[in-house]
Amino acid sequence: MRLPLRELKWLRKAAADANRPLDALVRRRQQGEPLQYIIGTQPFGPLELSVRPPILIPRPETEHWVIELAARIPESARHLLDLGTGSGCIPLLLAHLCPALSAHAVDVNPAAVTLATENAARCSVTRFRAFQANFLDPDFHVHAMLCPPYDVLTSNPPYIPWNEYLELPDEVKNYEDPRALFGGPSGLEFYHAIARLAVRERFLSSDAIIALEVGHDQAEAVGAIFESVSLRTEAWTDPWGKKRTIIAYRGT
Amino acid sequence: MSTPEDIARLRQLKESEPLQKAWDEWTKTKKSLEDLKPLLSDSDPSMRALAAEEHEALDGTLTQLLQSTFPSLLVPPSTTASLSALVELKSGAGGTESSLFLADLLRMYMRFASANSFRATVVAENENEAGGTKDAIVEIKGEGAYDAFRWESGVHRVQRVPSTDAAGRVHTSTATVIVLPLLEEKDVQKEDLFRMEDVKIEVMRARGAGGQHVNKTESAVRLTHIPSGITVSMQDERSQHQNKRRAFQVLSARLMDQKITREIAERRATRNSLVKSADRSEKIRTYNYAQERVTDHRIGMSIMNLTSVMEGDALQDFVDALKKDHEETLMEEMLNDQCD
Ligand SMILES: C[S@@+](CC[C@H](N)C(=O)[O-])C[C@H]1O[C@@H](n2cnc3c(N)ncnc32)[C@H](O)[C@@H]1O
Repeated sequence: MRLPLRELKWLRKAAADANRPLDALVRRRQQGEPLQYIIGTQPFGPLELSVRPPILIPRPETEHWVIELAARIPESARHLLDLGTGSGCIPLLLAHLCPALSAHAVDVNPAAVTLATENAARCSVTRFRAFQANFLDPDFHVHAMLCPPYDVLTSNPPYIPWNEYLELPDEVKNYEDPRALFGGPSGLEFYHAIARLAVRERFLSSDAIIALEVGHDQAEAVGAIFESVSLRTEAWTDPWGKKRTIIAYRGT
Repeated sequence: MSTPEDIARLRQLKESEPLQKAWDEWTKTKKSLEDLKPLLSDSDPSMRALAAEEHEALDGTLTQLLQSTFPSLLVPPSTTASLSALVELKSGAGGTESSLFLADLLRMYMRFASANSFRATVVAENENEAGGTKDAIVEIKGEGAYDAFRWESGVHRVQRVPSTDAAGRVHTSTATVIVLPLLEEKDVQKEDLFRMEDVKIEVMRARGAGGQHVNKTESAVRLTHIPSGITVSMQDERSQHQNKRRAFQVLSARLMDQKITREIAERRATRNSLVKSADRSEKIRTYNYAQERVTDHRIGMSIMNLTSVMEGDALQDFVDALKKDHEETLMEEMLNDQCD
């Protein structure tokens, strides 16, 4: 397989920067390993994050809605919670862009917690703490490290349904953590859990904003889940024309 | 470029002491030359010789005043003095050889920039198989970068035997250089160059389901500034955000360039300005490898050490000479104004 010239250039730079032999990097790429894992970083907005397998590589769709969200977060907002944080990309960029925010981030995978913590240091974001927790756990809301109420709740939860999981490109399936991708048989399991949390007494502040990434055809279903617990919702479109983000509000 | 502020400043300068002194000296010298005239045809040969000697000395004073004293007092500080530059290079006639030459020019500019303590970064580059560069955009950061590079705009022509020609024939090919003024991000807004709603932002390529389903790096972005029709595509960076930032940087530079060109044109219309706006299709320089010679056609200057030019060293001589030529034009214009 011949690599596109541009990828080759990025690999060449990565090889020179870290004093690694280029041909080894090229071979890994030819075998299908994602470019971001080989290089070891991914820019996300103005930040540069470390990435490593099998923690999910931050996607451009996510970068786009997070930057939009930063402009919508009111200055009065102080506390943010990110569910399933992976590399920490969402809370780190928001804390970077909104200096009044401090962020909590959780992930079931301890390796993600470590990576997110590392990335906070790398980006000099001090108002950040990541810890291991399972937000599907019925007792999650009383986890000792949480300090509700939160003013902003974000999540890019695993959303790929069973039938689509089988069809994923090798580059995704063979390298990224299934726990980061698989959203249960319907792909919607995690949204139900998040909706329950969102309306739990005192978990969110009364004018909290909730932002959730959804799969290419899930906007309507996810919107309905949040409306069924009496939240107002809207959908944001990504740069490729897909309804990608559901925004839900508690307030009126 | 002179703006209304420059003109006010000039007036002020005219009244300033050093200028007054130079002006007085100029008038006095002119007068002495006048007085000397009859003596140049005096019947006494020794008197004539004396007068000739004196004439030569006075002439020297006038030249000195004209070529260095007045310019240093009169030429307004450049309004672009603080700007950084964005240098766009595009290969032209001559196929592969043109892109090989472009790679040489790129190297020359990188070295020249670093010798002048500018920070140079290649922000976009399209290489081709043969080791050449089809096109490139270089950001040159630092105060005075635009003023140093601006006279590089135009068509550069190379005459040499390409490394790819087995028969050893001399080819002529060209590359175009466009130097744009680069503003700091915070100054872009002040200049009021465009409105956000006039810029269409498009991402390139389809991404299928996108999101978690796809982890390919797809970061290419295209901007279209609808009122001017300018489009900028950027794909060298690894994220959307970075490519967008770069693309906006290029768009701002192109619009700023148009603004400066427009200002020059307006001035020319109002006061017969001699100041040229760079004509990008003009052949400005020839690099003749066989003769180790580089010639700048605008000022008729040749440097017989092509290697040193390509190393970025002797390029300084061209840059200095072009800058001086520009300043002289400006001054001439001001003196003309004074006579009107
Ligand atoms: C799609 S990834 C998103 C990662 C990151 N937020 C991003 O946008 O790049 C989902 C993340 O949720 C984590 N996760 C999956 N199930 C979880 C659970 N029950 N509790 C907490 N985190 C979970 C995974 O480990 C993974 O890091």
